[in-house]
Amino acid sequence: MGLRLPGIRRGGGAGEERLVFSDVETVPRRRLTLVLGLAVGLATVPLVMLYLLLVLSSFADRMLSGPDIFSARYSLENWRLLFEGRLEPAAGQLYTARDLAVIVLNTLLVAAGVTVIVVLTSVMAGYAFSRMRFRGRRRLMEFIILLHAFPGVALIIAVYAIYVWSLGLVPREAVTGYRFLYTILARAALEIPMSIWLMKGFFDRIPWEVEWSAMIDGASRLRVWWQIVLPQVKPGIAALAIFAFLAGWEDLIYVHVFLYTGGIKTLATFIEEVVGNIETAYLPIAAAAGTLYLLPTIVFFVATQKLLLQAMGGGVKG
Amino acid sequence: MAQRTSLVIAGIVILLVVVGAAFLLRGGEKPAAPAETSPASPATQPAAQPAAQAKPEKPRLTGNIEQDIVAIGRYLASQGIHEAKYTVWGAGDPNSVLRTLAVVEAAYRLNKILEKHGVDFKITVEQKFKRGGGDQLAEDFAAAFQSQANPDIMANSYKHIARFADEGYLLDITQYLEAYRDFLNDFYQSLLGAVRYKGKYYGVPQDTEARPLYWRTDVAACIKEKTGEDILTGLAEKIQKGEVTWHDIYRYAKLAVETGCSEWGVLHRKGSAHPDLIQFIYAFGGKLSDPKTGKLVLDVPAVYKWLYVEWKMARDKLIPEDMMSWDWGKQIHPSTVSGKTLIWIGGTWHWTEWQTKPYYTDPKTGEQRPLTAEEVKKYFYYTLFAAGDPGDKPVTLSQPFVWMIASNAGKDNPKYDELHDVYQMLAFLLVVKASDPDLNAIHSIISAHLPVRKAAEQLISDKTWVDKLAKLEVELSPEVKNAIADIVKATVNEINIEFLASASKMLAYTHLTPIHPQYPQLAKIFADAVDKVLRGEMTPEEAVNYIISKVKADPELAKAVEIVGEIPKDWQFP
Repeated sequence: MGLRLPGIRRGGGAGEERLVFSDVETVPRRRLTLVLGLAVGLATVPLVMLYLLLVLSSFADRMLSGPDIFSARYSLENWRLLFEGRLEPAAGQLYTARDLAVIVLNTLLVAAGVTVIVVLTSVMAGYAFSRMRFRGRRRLMEFIILLHAFPGVALIIAVYAIYVWSLGLVPREAVTGYRFLYTILARAALEIPMSIWLMKGFFDRIPWEVEWSAMIDGASRLRVWWQIVLPQVKPGIAALAIFAFLAGWEDLIYVHVFLYTGGIKTLATFIEEVVGNIETAYLPIAAAAGTLYLLPTIVFFVATQKLLLQAMGGGVKG
Repeated sequence: MAQRTSLVIAGIVILLVVVGAAFLLRGGEKPAAPAETSPASPATQPAAQPAAQAKPEKPRLTGNIEQDIVAIGRYLASQGIHEAKYTVWGAGDPNSVLRTLAVVEAAYRLNKILEKHGVDFKITVEQKFKRGGGDQLAEDFAAAFQSQANPDIMANSYKHIARFADEGYLLDITQYLEAYRDFLNDFYQSLLGAVRYKGKYYGVPQDTEARPLYWRTDVAACIKEKTGEDILTGLAEKIQKGEVTWHDIYRYAKLAVETGCSEWGVLHRKGSAHPDLIQFIYAFGGKLSDPKTGKLVLDVPAVYKWLYVEWKMARDKLIPEDMMSWDWGKQIHPSTVSGKTLIWIGGTWHWTEWQTKPYYTDPKTGEQRPLTAEEVKKYFYYTLFAAGDPGDKPVTLSQPFVWMIASNAGKDNPKYDELHDVYQMLAFLLVVKASDPDLNAIHSIISAHLPVRKAAEQLISDKTWVDKLAKLEVELSPEVKNAIADIVKATVNEINIEFLASASKMLAYTHLTPIHPQYPQLAKIFADAVDKVLRGEMTPEEAVNYIISKVKADPELAKAVEIVGEIPKDWQFP
């Protein structure tokens, strides 16, 4: 009685018998892919449906919730009203298109600021943790990951107390700039711990020999980092920049506390206002504002899917 | 791949550069630096008044606004200050923009007086109107106050006065109002309780509302057709006299549902929208606060009766069990405007909300659209909130919006430490002017709120003036006129004016919820209890005990609330 093993067949000829192993991964792969695809598809259906309903509602005459997508009437009216500054069909103008542009610009500014701070600090700190030995390195890394565990909301009171105290030291002319700077720094601080770990992971995957040979050739540590190592972790930097940008773009609590109370609006606080009191809100226009807010996120993810997947995998092609 | 990543990074860098450049180039967001009048160096101040002219004395308010503004303007000009800046915040539905724009208009009007008298001084007002409720705005105000970024004037619900006055955020304007006694006397006296706290005035009423019972005329007609009972004839008067009580309303609601004329007997607002339901306490002769002790009151008999009415109606399928979690735009308003209920416990603002929001599905075209003013008038009859038991009185409830002046009003102006009292007087004058009868009347008409001044009510009843308003031929600054032009077009019509005039009469029966820092907590417990009795999770008795236990569980609340009376044993409903 012969032993039968899956994926093994007897082959050869001329009386010679040998075991031929087919690629053990490829046989069930199609089925596995199908099952996985189906599972992921089913899991994301509710989420996709929600976003789809939001986007469709922004063109509809009502807030859609399912079957009414077929009975609703679609037009660009909600978008027109949104850009005209009318948050209800029969209401007066609350803001101008220029005001809306300033709001978008403020949001971009916060997001861009967070991106710059996070990328700069993480790329440097990540390299240091990956390549340099110094006293307390391990403890510091543990401490940094502990920092990541703190939710931003828990820190807000202390951060706010410092903010109020520090505002008194800022000349009046510089208050607006200071509000932006403080918001950017505070928001970036929440992102930095995880970003450092992410970057360290990327640096860890680069063979040490590459740097070694460059240093033997006489390059300084800084030059090696700049010219040899950084180009190899470009996907990591790009992914990090995207995450940081989206963190700044999507933030509500910090921009509300530090900017909005000073009369500076971003898209997140703008949407808060559009919805206002949910009882009397005209939701199709709120849906248009929500869609506007989603656009950069969607564009970013579509444009940088591969990079993100690489970053999630924590690897780079060396 | 490498090329692509380089492109992405390059793209991000370009984006950052563009944003940075745009930020450098954009203007108009920086707060203006204080005028070139640094208190430290008189040399930098603009030329002082001619030496021959004696410097005017610090002004005092006289009650004559023209005289007062001129005196303040001259005094500040003599100090080398030729402009004062103020900010105003307000919140509400998009048609309530005059909550902030009226202050802008006030500055325009005061500047005209100053110009007329040749005073080299002007007031500028920066306004921020936020769509939505005032609660978030109040939190923003409190947060902004910490960094002195708060507005000088805020239009918000009176319910925030207690907390803000205790915190020291608000200006006590009692002494100013002493001088402006005539101005104060023109307000409905029932509303002045909304701006008084611990015997002092901390605001001026800005608008108010009433909460009528809306009755569907088509459902009532159907009941008449099927049973012969005509419930609407003379109903408003009967309710006003206390002849029709909630016992009768229960019977009408049951008739409507049993005859199949409507799906529900009564619908009401949900969630934390408690003020309408709080009317039950007053309608059953209860109270919510004791003016002698300053404490909140949990009036057990009245609360029990209220919860019993809700519980009984829900058990008999006259009110939906899950009413407190219905959706506003999909269930509550569409059901009301399409006649699925006999009664809607709502507010005066719903009259125009139904005309501006597409809650109605036109049976002919299938189109979702707002009701026309004519349709609203045709389908809805309105009355006071009926008395609870025979012998009780009908009621309505108001939660006025008020203008509050910050205790640091004028802080953004030169020499504030030295002249803060003058800047505060000026802020007060802005509020007085913003309360001009015509501004109050225009606001009432375009936002479906009720006027707070008798003079404003007279204007609303003046057909000639209303016609002028409809054509925008009233005296307003170009900025304000332009801002409200579209709203005027959409809202100023005879039907709405008639409704406002009629609803204003309800203010004679109005009650206010207490001005007490702990009241919102108590109201939240009430709303929670209502939800539980509607769903049948608790009997009315259990719900009352639940409220008592929740009050006692919070030491602060327990200290603030006095529990009076017991559950009535021999009370019958219906």
